[in-house]
Amino acid sequence: MTLRSVKTPLLEVSGLCTTFGAGDTSVPAVRDVGFTINKGEILGLVGESGSGKSVTLRSVLGLSRRYGRTTGSALWRGENLVTLPESDMRRIRGGEIAMIFQEPMTSLNPLLTVGVQIDETLKAHTDMSAGERKKRAIEMLDVVGIPAAGSRLFEYPHQFSGGMRQRVMIAIALAARPKLLLADEPTTALDVTIQAQILDLILSLAKDFDMGVILVTHDLGVVAQTCEQVAVMYAGRIVEQGSVRSVLREPRHPYTVGLMRSVPQNVPPRTPLYSIPGTPPSLLSLPDGCAFAARCPQRTAGCETGRPELETLKGGRSVACFNRVEAKGGAAA
Amino acid sequence: MSEAVLEIRDVSLAFKGKRSLLDVLSNTPVKNVNALNGVSLDLRQGETLGVVGESGCGKSTLARCIVRLHEPNGGSVHFHGMDVFASHERGDRTYNRRVQMMFQDPYSSLNPRMTTGQILSEALRVHDMCPEDDVPARLANLMDLVQLPGDALEKYPHEFSGGQRQRIAIARALAVEPEVLIADELVSALDVSVQAQIVNLLLDLQDRLGLTILFVAHDLRLVRHVSNRVAVIYLGRIVEIGDSETLFASPSHPYSQALLSAAPSLDPDDKGRKIHLEGELPSPLDIPPGCPFHVRCRHKSPKCTTEQPKLRPIAGRGSVACHHAEEIENV
Repeated sequence: MTLRSVKTPLLEVSGLCTTFGAGDTSVPAVRDVGFTINKGEILGLVGESGSGKSVTLRSVLGLSRRYGRTTGSALWRGENLVTLPESDMRRIRGGEIAMIFQEPMTSLNPLLTVGVQIDETLKAHTDMSAGERKKRAIEMLDVVGIPAAGSRLFEYPHQFSGGMRQRVMIAIALAARPKLLLADEPTTALDVTIQAQILDLILSLAKDFDMGVILVTHDLGVVAQTCEQVAVMYAGRIVEQGSVRSVLREPRHPYTVGLMRSVPQNVPPRTPLYSIPGTPPSLLSLPDGCAFAARCPQRTAGCETGRPELETLKGGRSVACFNRVEAKGGAAA
Repeated sequence: MSEAVLEIRDVSLAFKGKRSLLDVLSNTPVKNVNALNGVSLDLRQGETLGVVGESGCGKSTLARCIVRLHEPNGGSVHFHGMDVFASHERGDRTYNRRVQMMFQDPYSSLNPRMTTGQILSEALRVHDMCPEDDVPARLANLMDLVQLPGDALEKYPHEFSGGQRQRIAIARALAVEPEVLIADELVSALDVSVQAQIVNLLLDLQDRLGLTILFVAHDLRLVRHVSNRVAVIYLGRIVEIGDSETLFASPSHPYSQALLSAAPSLDPDDKGRKIHLEGELPSPLDIPPGCPFHVRCRHKSPKCTTEQPKLRPIAGRGSVACHHAEEIENV
């Protein structure tokens, strides 16, 4: 519903698969994932733990190469990131595409000052002089809302609180002005008040720098308030995808419906909450049919033998289900 | 209103700061972390009291004080009229039995080298809950209660998922037939659909066994769902306490208002009337004078910077610790 005349695709991912091997067993963590992200757009990636959200992000950046096999394509300015040699990858990683990791407590180097850690990125990806780099580092800390930025450059990560460390992570990620930001649960470790600040910050930066953002989260509220597009993942696949408004208003995949219903909102207090029966399947022994079949209230005989493909419906929504939940008003937009 | 099971009065706790040689030489005063600064509340028979607040506000410290994992510097905790910190009560294990705690991290709160059966029977033996011959029957009964299969007793914690581990933690707490459960972020580490299962189990057990629950959590939706009453804590002080529905529908303290408005709504068009809190929680090493919230408050007046507001009842609402509670419009 945004009135953006031209949507320029920034990153086009298709058929992305990542498998981790351990001896004779192989764990397919991401299976045939595809999505497109445009300039200035925020895509939410949701799902339970182990559904492959983080591995998807890591595969795009080539971070899961060392211990897994990635196939498929992730087109970035005409180059396929999946097959790009490591040396070229280093140029893109941190420069054009930046990532914010989940745990601000462990992702910063405790032995280096914050200033040095921001400088590192700039040294690697820009031709700025030392003076300019310092100026940019201060500017970035300022942008992410760290007071007295100039003096805090010389402080170590332990001198910052959790929320402040997450801001430092964002400052490092954004220092080289990336065109795409991959944010892996950037606010999960934080309090709601700080979460709101960080999300607002990411939103305004996406707008100001026309930066694409992929936001991995398990909080549907965060998606509702931040993203334009959303992809729901289950057992390594995308099961439903579309605009946030339409997916959250009228989920068509039974799994999305279940996720939405488990959130205690608009239910009478102290009544039993809805919960999806059973547990996600082990990735070591995935069923032949639909991975969600065993837990699905709408399953039919066909679900256990055939696997539903992600099918695009009217209005840009894609759903991978044989027995889609009917749209309430008839017309899903 | 039913009687109070636990009466917590003016509990305060300061953790002593470390003093390096340099501090001693330069005569720097010792800095204490003031985790709790005079918390008073009643936990009533059969209710669920939710405790919310930002990390570092002292909610876990309060939970730990109640189960005697920390000893407060001041104030008292009475359980059915008995002072739990009085010296002659210290060796008394019945209090430990009747007030059980369940911890946040299901991966570190169970001994990885003991099977579920061993974990549960240890609890039974320590408190001499039943004759040795009845232990297997009681274990089976506990598994039933928390809806785990019977063969779970033979397994080690690593064989279970997070949700199942929290069920074991609940079974361990229930093994000793407690009256009060202290749930410190019991479901925070779990996925939303698993969260729902554990919350349902907890509510069901509460009804069946008549338990009283102190539910510490930072997920506001969840707290609203399970609690009868809610206490909002800020920097080791209760700033608002009252009936859950009233408090969530119309919070009175400016901090509660900001905290509740920050929770993201599931409706993409409901951008909410978000109240932005400037800055972060001040360090408990250095709590601002007067009302500790005044540095972030939109409604502060000169009085707030000097005089600390007391928790006082407000007509039609709960108790609020704010000088301007009456004037501040409900959001």
